[in-house]
Amino acid sequence: MPRKFGKPTDPDYEARLAEFEARIARGEKIEPGDWMPEEYRRQLVRMISQHAHSEVVGMLPEGAWITRAPSLKRKMILIAKVQDEAGHGQYLYHAAETLGVTREEMLEALLSGKAKYSSIFNYPTLTWADIGTIGWLVDGAAIKNQTMLAQCSYGPYSRAMVRICAEETFHHKQGKEMVITYAKGTPKQRAMAQDAINRWWWPALMMLGPHDSDSPNTPTLVKWGVKTKTNDEVRQEFINEHAPEILEAGLTLPDPDLRYDEATGNWVHGPINWDEFWAVVNGNGPMNKERLEARRRAHAEGAWVREALAVYAARKQQTAVAV
Amino acid sequence: MDTQWPRWEVFKQDTPAKPHQAVGSVHAADPFHALLTARNVFARRPQAVSMWVAPASAIFSVTQEELAEGQEPKPPAPDPRPSTFYVFRKTSHKRSMTFVDYVGELEAASPQQALELARQRFTDAEALAWWVVPASSVTKSENSPETVESWFAPAKDKTYKQQSYYGVVGSHVSKFKRPRGEDDE
Repeated sequence: MPRKFGKPTDPDYEARLAEFEARIARGEKIEPGDWMPEEYRRQLVRMISQHAHSEVVGMLPEGAWITRAPSLKRKMILIAKVQDEAGHGQYLYHAAETLGVTREEMLEALLSGKAKYSSIFNYPTLTWADIGTIGWLVDGAAIKNQTMLAQCSYGPYSRAMVRICAEETFHHKQGKEMVITYAKGTPKQRAMAQDAINRWWWPALMMLGPHDSDSPNTPTLVKWGVKTKTNDEVRQEFINEHAPEILEAGLTLPDPDLRYDEATGNWVHGPINWDEFWAVVNGNGPMNKERLEARRRAHAEGAWVREALAVYAARKQQTAVAV
Repeated sequence: MDTQWPRWEVFKQDTPAKPHQAVGSVHAADPFHALLTARNVFARRPQAVSMWVAPASAIFSVTQEELAEGQEPKPPAPDPRPSTFYVFRKTSHKRSMTFVDYVGELEAASPQQALELARQRFTDAEALAWWVVPASSVTKSENSPETVESWFAPAKDKTYKQQSYYGVVGSHVSKFKRPRGEDDE
């Protein structure tokens, strides 16, 4: 575990910082136990734990549809996807733990409402088409961000991202396949797919974070190789891939200003409603209260399992000692 | 707030020809619970033949940086009797997917002695980090073909968990990219 987190007041801080930044410039990974600035550690713990919470809370909107999947095949896919999200939360909590934060602290922060998680999971899943749309748009946006983070200078986070990206491509692909299937289906199926795209498009753009001009952490994170692209760059990549695909599927996007710019090769979007984004981030989205309550309930209802396992482990240890 | 179970480091072997590698950790009440959780977290896709777990508190880990500065962390309380230690080593920070890999075992009287012996014995590559683990703290998944099959093979049949199962859906993304060199014309 890392034991050395440098503070600017340390006598050797400047020299060590220069050495640290040179390592990052050479493309080396920073590993647990290596010297790192306290600020690097703080930013990583913030990002990784938020990311872990997002995976855990992200199980809720989708999990709600497992029993209502329209076929066994779709049900197996959805179960596997939700199971992956649980695993991703676990990888990420572990990566944060290598920075000296404990699982207890992180869970406490989530359950008390202190911790943030991705704004996108505070929107409701109203129809089955939302499940496909989450895969295509929400996981599509997440992959853009995570592919960038797989290059991260902190070894454990980058490794978690490499593994997660490999699995997320399945989430993305199954969602895209589902929505395109419905877009080619009956008028009712097409309407359901269109309605889902209309509701998820803007939240998907927002989940990639505030504009660069409103993202004070970005320059430091880019300098230390935690992020290699800004929020706006990642958002642009996402739109450039997804806008033409959705239009080709015969669906429309709920942005009257959206246009292809020949000069830059970019799809240019209209203004994003950041008031909505901040309201959701600050706890006033449509589902914030329900999501947190569901997590708290699950934690409380699982207490007997934790207690039973702890007692079983203690008894086995006693028996082993007695033998 | 109740406390979570102890943390266990997980060592995964991808193929019989590869070493066990430290892939991350899980929280669990006992070693078998740790193995089961490790399988669910780290082997949902077909890429494992064996897994080991060890309580994080039993692992003596030291970086090259700490050795150079004479600032080794305190080792876990040693077993009073000489015992077998497993030695793991990380030799590259250059890429993302580099791990603390199993290199071998040795007999020593304490974790510190095991580390000293390891530094003398495993000299074929520069070590950036060492992990020394008492063999008695390590719990392994069974090696019998039946267990390996039942633990790790089912993931192979779940092809719908691979993105390739879905083939090319709609147009491939490359269709929407501008051809290279367009600006130069």
